[in-house]
Amino acid sequence: MTATLALVSYALVTGTMGAHLLRQARWADRSPRLGIVAWQALTWSLLTAVILAGLTLAIPVWPVSADLAGLLRSCATLLSNQYATTGGATVSTVALALVVLVLVRVGHAVLRAMLEARSGRRRQRNALALVARRDDRLGALVVEHPSCAAYCIPGGRGEVVLTSTTVASLDADQLACVLAHERAHLRGRHDLVIALAAGMHAAFPFVPALRYAKAEVSRLLEMVADDAAAGSNDRITLATALIRLAEGAVPAGTLGAGGDSAVARVRRLAAPSNPLGRIRMVLTLSGVAVLAVTPVLLAAAPALAVSLAGYCPVGFPT
Amino acid sequence: MNVRQMGQLEAVVMDRLWAWDRAANVREVLEDLQRDRTIAYTTVMTVMDNLYQKGFLTRELDGRAYRYSAAEPREQYTARIMEEVLSSSSDPGATLLHFVERIPATELRRLKAALQHPPSKGSLR
Repeated sequence: MTATLALVSYALVTGTMGAHLLRQARWADRSPRLGIVAWQALTWSLLTAVILAGLTLAIPVWPVSADLAGLLRSCATLLSNQYATTGGATVSTVALALVVLVLVRVGHAVLRAMLEARSGRRRQRNALALVARRDDRLGALVVEHPSCAAYCIPGGRGEVVLTSTTVASLDADQLACVLAHERAHLRGRHDLVIALAAGMHAAFPFVPALRYAKAEVSRLLEMVADDAAAGSNDRITLATALIRLAEGAVPAGTLGAGGDSAVARVRRLAAPSNPLGRIRMVLTLSGVAVLAVTPVLLAAAPALAVSLAGYCPVGFPT
Repeated sequence: MNVRQMGQLEAVVMDRLWAWDRAANVREVLEDLQRDRTIAYTTVMTVMDNLYQKGFLTRELDGRAYRYSAAEPREQYTARIMEEVLSSSSDPGATLLHFVERIPATELRRLKAALQHPPSKGSLR
């Protein structure tokens, strides 16, 4: 019971305060890859805490054993002990049902996010096939359109798509930046990273931490691609390309929506690259490791304590 | 004839019909295509029939053959497919990854000014 309570408290604290702290963190912009890993660790931590809370409620004392067969046998014994009393049986059943529900929901939502994205991309590709022409020099598809746009269609056969206006509005260096940015997305399979975050959010839309995770991961992925593009080009050129494209994206007179992260990206590129120093990086990675491991430790702590104290191995029938 | 080749032919046929901006029958399209490649009448017929089934072409019976026209002008078609891409609201799972979203005009001015005088490393906040 203590393990369950500890895990639930941990999940609540991490989900609220932890997510809040991470959102405020300035360091993520300096090393966006690390920021993404931190958000993924947070999500993982929340998920495992919830699942382990359910499991520790269903099976109050976990046997610690190096022997897998023995472990499974003692789990089965413990479970049957639980079911010996109606109270215990109800609690166990509900807890296990919830665990299964959570797992199924996550699996379903993530898979659905991926499949929907995939069919959306196929539709785009097919629709473009009739009007876009391949520009071999740029290595991208170009489609005639009066406003600026540049995007990539991720997937196994990724494509970069530019509008004719974009090609006309940017100079060669700026175009190179745009292409490098999009190709970084394709190479890194950032679509999968987003699908995971989007899936988790879709599975539990009432959890703010997951909503933040999805927004932050998307934002940070743009910075990862920016860094990749600026690496072989020049930060200012990329920033200028961003501005030119944003200018040309909205035909005069129409509303512009959003753009907070675009502004942040330009400001970030206007200043020299400033990644986290080694010490901060090590500290952050340690934090990530702690996030990942804490739920497991909290779940195992009671059992570990018992085993280490040298009592009879719990649950083994004598 | 694999899917990709079919797709390429569809693009070529649409290209012709859009360029001509009038109705045409299979034979006219075939003769034009044959200037650049070897292709059979039945192939062109199949391609144009597919395009009709998908809604890209309309057709009218003229004697014993159909005359096909583009269902909508090229610009309209392109605008329509790009509309979905450019409207930021309809993509929760990030089907596509855009280079940049829109930036409000006021911010654009400020950002352009910032780029004229980029901050040096010493003056970073």
